[in-house]
Amino acid sequence: MNIVGVAACTAGIAHTYIAKEKLMKAAQEAGHSIFVETQGTIGTQDNLTEEQIKEADVVVIAADVKINGKNRFKGKKTIEVPTDLVIKSPNKFIKKVEEVVAPA
Amino acid sequence: MEQLETIDLQKVIKKELITVDLEATTKEGVIYELTDLLYEGGCLTDQEAFIKDVFLREKEGATGLGNGIAIPHGKSGSVLKTRIAVGISKNNISWESLDDKPVNAIILFAVQDSDANTTHILLLQQVAIFLADEDFLERLKNARSEEEVIELFTKNKKRNGEY
Repeated sequence: MNIVGVAACTAGIAHTYIAKEKLMKAAQEAGHSIFVETQGTIGTQDNLTEEQIKEADVVVIAADVKINGKNRFKGKKTIEVPTDLVIKSPNKFIKKVEEVVAPA
Repeated sequence: MEQLETIDLQKVIKKELITVDLEATTKEGVIYELTDLLYEGGCLTDQEAFIKDVFLREKEGATGLGNGIAIPHGKSGSVLKTRIAVGISKNNISWESLDDKPVNAIILFAVQDSDANTTHILLLQQVAIFLADEDFLERLKNARSEEEVIELFTKNKKRNGEY
């Protein structure tokens, strides 16, 4: 499936980027396509494109703070979790996402 | 994200800011010990002010990532140079962690309050990316010398987006 995501943490220094890496790794290993935008202390990087959002089956938001541009995902299936959860068990989280998107 | 040259990490990771033989056995002690290294290395104007900012961040949530690693960090007006200090310990140090286990490797991020130098932050991101790699974490925890730690960070071939 196609996943788009946003990662953001309180300080915007470390957890944001660790969460992104873990998400990318777990999703790709499970055979999904994924794009993750980071909103950190130096601003937004790897901005999601309209096209990526349009194509996405699901939006995952791994954030400890309010993210910018949430309205972009209006009408999309969206899963919101704290960064900790993604950092701690990324594979389990992707499984959960799979279940939500395509219930068995 | 821009691909970074491996050599660039040497801008934020210095040998004198690393110890593979932490003396402290408590979380607070470790933060003080690593802060001492930063202060002696000329990276801070005020130790106490920096420590205060680090503990402010600690209050907001666990900085133990699991797998025996913790990343306390302070973005503080007392930071002169954005750097990371690394401490490895033979002891298990109690720390609020995602897996509720103690830690053996602590990476303390000292970040300038208004870091005009975006490169520094990009370098810290590169460090954060390494921390998502379990193989890297294992090697870090088992590092025996300061040189080995430097090598791990600067010679790591893994790049953003490659698995």
